[in-house]
Amino acid sequence: MFTIGKLASLTSVSNDTLRYYEDEGLVKPAGKSPAGYRLYDQDSARRIHFIKHAQHCGFTLAEIRELLVLRGRDRACCGDVRKRAIEKKLQIENKIRAMEAMSKALDQLIAECVNEAQPAKECTIIAALERANVSMSMQ
Amino acid sequence: MFYAPACAECVAAQAKLRGAAKEAVRDLEWHEVNILDDLDRAVELGVMTLPSIAVDGELVFTSMPTATQLRTALVERNKGSR
Repeated sequence: MFTIGKLASLTSVSNDTLRYYEDEGLVKPAGKSPAGYRLYDQDSARRIHFIKHAQHCGFTLAEIRELLVLRGRDRACCGDVRKRAIEKKLQIENKIRAMEAMSKALDQLIAECVNEAQPAKECTIIAALERANVSMSMQ
Repeated sequence: MFYAPACAECVAAQAKLRGAAKEAVRDLEWHEVNILDDLDRAVELGVMTLPSIAVDGELVFTSMPTATQLRTALVERNKGSR
């Protein structure tokens, strides 16, 4: 059994994060020491590694909670997990497209601003953003 | 209809939804698109959940509709397009 500090160092997350995971229902101590300190077991460490890997793949903590439930459910199958992974990929691909559009918009603004010595008030980027504000507020 | 084989409820509902769609609109063209075969098309339409149903290039359902909901949506759209 590990103390919270030991688990934190084993998994490279902070004590506060572990307490937050507990509040979020993601990890709970396996027991308490006679002095009332949280004690964790190997399964807690496995869950923390699982959470970190899932976060690297873009899953939110709420989604990770669902994955952990599926992981422990006898009737769940790989297809249930794969469906969630496909939906996550779709969300990420949508974000990539949106960011590519932002990047292209910035390319245009950067290309239009050729005189860097001009006062900021007269900067074409500022002017273009102001026009964008006006057109957005009129929508 | 955008689905994935991993989505058991999508696969199970396909025949029923296809039937409802064809019943609602004569000469309707119904396509079942496996997301994994045409991810780009799905992303272009903004599909983020399974199943999703697009009609005439517009995303109409982002979760599983009942046969009645699909039928109603198609009939309404068909009325509007006449």
